[in-house]
Amino acid sequence: MLSGLRVLDLCDESGQLAGRILGDLGADVIAVEPPGGKALRHRGPWLGGQPGIERGVAWHALNASKRSVRLDPDAPADRARLESLVATADVWLDTPAPGARAAQGLDPAGLRARHPRLVVCAITPFGLDGPWSRYRAGDLIAVALGGNMGLTGDPDRAPLRCTMPTAYYHAAPEAALGVTMALYAREESGRGQIVDVSLHETQLQTQLSFPAQYPIKKQGARRAGPRIGRTREIWRAADGYVSFGLRGGPTRVKNLIATVELMDECGAAPDWLRDYDWAHYNHNTLADAEIARLEEAFGAFFATRTMRELYEQALVRRILLAPCNDAREIAEHRQLRERELFATVELPELGSSLELPDFFAKTEDGAIRVRRRAPRLGEHEREVFAELEGREGPAA
Amino acid sequence: MTRVFEGVRVLELGSGAAGPVATRYLAEHGARVIRIESARAPDFLRILWLTPESRFGLDGSPMFHLLNPDKESLAVNLREPEGVALVERLALEWADVVSENFAPGPMERWGLDAASLRRERPELICVSACLFGQTGSQRSYPGFGGQGSAISGFNHLTGWPDREAIGPAHTITDSLSPRFVALAITAALLERRRTGRGRTIDLSQIEAAVYCQSEVLARYTANGEVVTRRGNADDHTCPHGVYPCAGEDRWIAIAVYDDAQWRALRSALGEPPPGWASGAQLEALSGRLAARDALDAGLAAWTRGFEPQPLMERLQAAGVPAGVVQSEPDLLADPQLAHRGHWVPTEHPHLGTLLVERAGFRLSDAESGFSRPGPLLGEHTDAILRELLGLDHAKIARLRENGVLE
Repeated sequence: MLSGLRVLDLCDESGQLAGRILGDLGADVIAVEPPGGKALRHRGPWLGGQPGIERGVAWHALNASKRSVRLDPDAPADRARLESLVATADVWLDTPAPGARAAQGLDPAGLRARHPRLVVCAITPFGLDGPWSRYRAGDLIAVALGGNMGLTGDPDRAPLRCTMPTAYYHAAPEAALGVTMALYAREESGRGQIVDVSLHETQLQTQLSFPAQYPIKKQGARRAGPRIGRTREIWRAADGYVSFGLRGGPTRVKNLIATVELMDECGAAPDWLRDYDWAHYNHNTLADAEIARLEEAFGAFFATRTMRELYEQALVRRILLAPCNDAREIAEHRQLRERELFATVELPELGSSLELPDFFAKTEDGAIRVRRRAPRLGEHEREVFAELEGREGPAA
Repeated sequence: MTRVFEGVRVLELGSGAAGPVATRYLAEHGARVIRIESARAPDFLRILWLTPESRFGLDGSPMFHLLNPDKESLAVNLREPEGVALVERLALEWADVVSENFAPGPMERWGLDAASLRRERPELICVSACLFGQTGSQRSYPGFGGQGSAISGFNHLTGWPDREAIGPAHTITDSLSPRFVALAITAALLERRRTGRGRTIDLSQIEAAVYCQSEVLARYTANGEVVTRRGNADDHTCPHGVYPCAGEDRWIAIAVYDDAQWRALRSALGEPPPGWASGAQLEALSGRLAARDALDAGLAAWTRGFEPQPLMERLQAAGVPAGVVQSEPDLLADPQLAHRGHWVPTEHPHLGTLLVERAGFRLSDAESGFSRPGPLLGEHTDAILRELLGLDHAKIARLRENGVLE
């Protein structure tokens, strides 16, 4: 869908998923790396446990569908070549530290002045200006200041982030969206523009506008561990955890009734639960003791069944229950397999292979898909630079 | 300056967050978005948290109006063939994009599915965004975001190693997937501008979330490693944690990404540094990781003496990444969000001022923003039918009388 468009990806880990997304959409994404390779290449875990700049697993996950060239903006010859490469590009995608690129003329304003058609996207912790624009942050800080952390975790311990960097996961598609909007606008205006993405601000939407309801409700949400409000959402199964809500509402009560039927068929529904008055069920008005009694009954049943057993029944009976999958369970999830979500990426020269989610949406013709394995450092210099020289004419 | 999507027309069916938040990005940038709604089967957000004493019925739930700003509402009964025909005319005669997030079924029953619409009008862009996608044996599973977060692995990856999985607050598939829906629509609009072709896009909210988990999947499929929840610990950053501050339930996050930041933090602790922060072995990440528990305990004892906001300012001034764990009221007073104009005040006829949220990015050369909160149910029915479909007053009155309009 973005074929024929070229993206130069200068990003560190915090933005590399954005380039992958644009590459999977068909753009020609070129990772521009320092002579020793980007920092993520130097970080494990490694393919097969052996360290090496071509063996970082995170590198392979975030940099598929890209090519690679080495260019050092501080070396004059490379700087000139980079400028020629920028002239062939549609998008500059970067995660610049505050003020970092200005000396080289590679800050958004400088790039834009020299290349009016270029779309310049900067993914930064807080945005390009404002009172916090020079503050430093990675995922942990963005999730804290963005508000999600304060509501995540157990009430008796510190607030939590997800163990994987969800701030980067939220910013990446939003950066790709801003870039694509700017390209759409350029079709008419002929001019590029700056896309100023804030990790902090992209975190706000994880809360689905709950903070904006604070002035109305006059009551903030609190960390509740495995619960939402008063009722449990995460339950122990025999071999892991499942998600299931004790909340009411017309759709949800049907699913509580179906669960009790399942328990009854298994001989696991106490009499009082079999005869429960669901017509008047409202989880907001239940006494604490009643919530505890319900929790104990449902919990005792779930704890005797595996995640898979419970989920198979949930599918048949339309119960709102789902397994808390780990990586293996995601990789084996039947529906995802049937949809062919995972693509095998062969890495024969490394004696390895891995699977990646191939697309974030399906199209009739597979327009969104992993185009190639992550590049070796500088792998595409010959072809990329030959093309530049062809444009520039023979070197003097 | 103009708006990027000036003139773009979007017809929306469905409910909740995953679809409507996606089209909010388009509305923010100038697209005209018409929601097809029904009083008989309202968007569940229109009844969420309504108390019995709420006086405004389906127009009184703040969440609906916060997630659907600058959109128009057409209330029509889709059990009536004439109602379906009105929507079909809008899709075929007016829309550039049809966006929906029902579980598979209703769109086909109405003949409003992508295949039917694009047979008539190939250049249409049709986007479906239900939990599991349009194909596969589990496609009809009636889940919400809670199920999506569990299945896509985010629950398993959030929590303390010695306790149960809990998941990030709210439902992460509802925040991740709308960005991908909006991106898919925008990429299709760009492609159509360049080539003239339309698109059918089948997005699964769970798959979009799993796509973000590429690293976790790669670690499993390459090495057999099952990544699991680790509290706030990180293998490449130390210290990396959340520490208590003065006040009730006040916290600060601190992350030391390199050795220079460690030296900056140690200086900020005072001269000479406390014993737990002293020692040449702490100069390198490996030494700090080996001393992680002692560093966390020492930092927690130190941060307790400070209010979070001044401590963040002091640490940031010293070059140490630090951030307050902000509460909901903190976010409304956040100076950086205020600078970016994140909260847009809009006036709702029943609920008063509602602070609608902007996207997390700004375009330098395009106008964007919102001027009104989500629509009242059916607020624009007559105007849409008159102006876009050319129906006269008598015809509209007859449709209303026959129960086609609500």
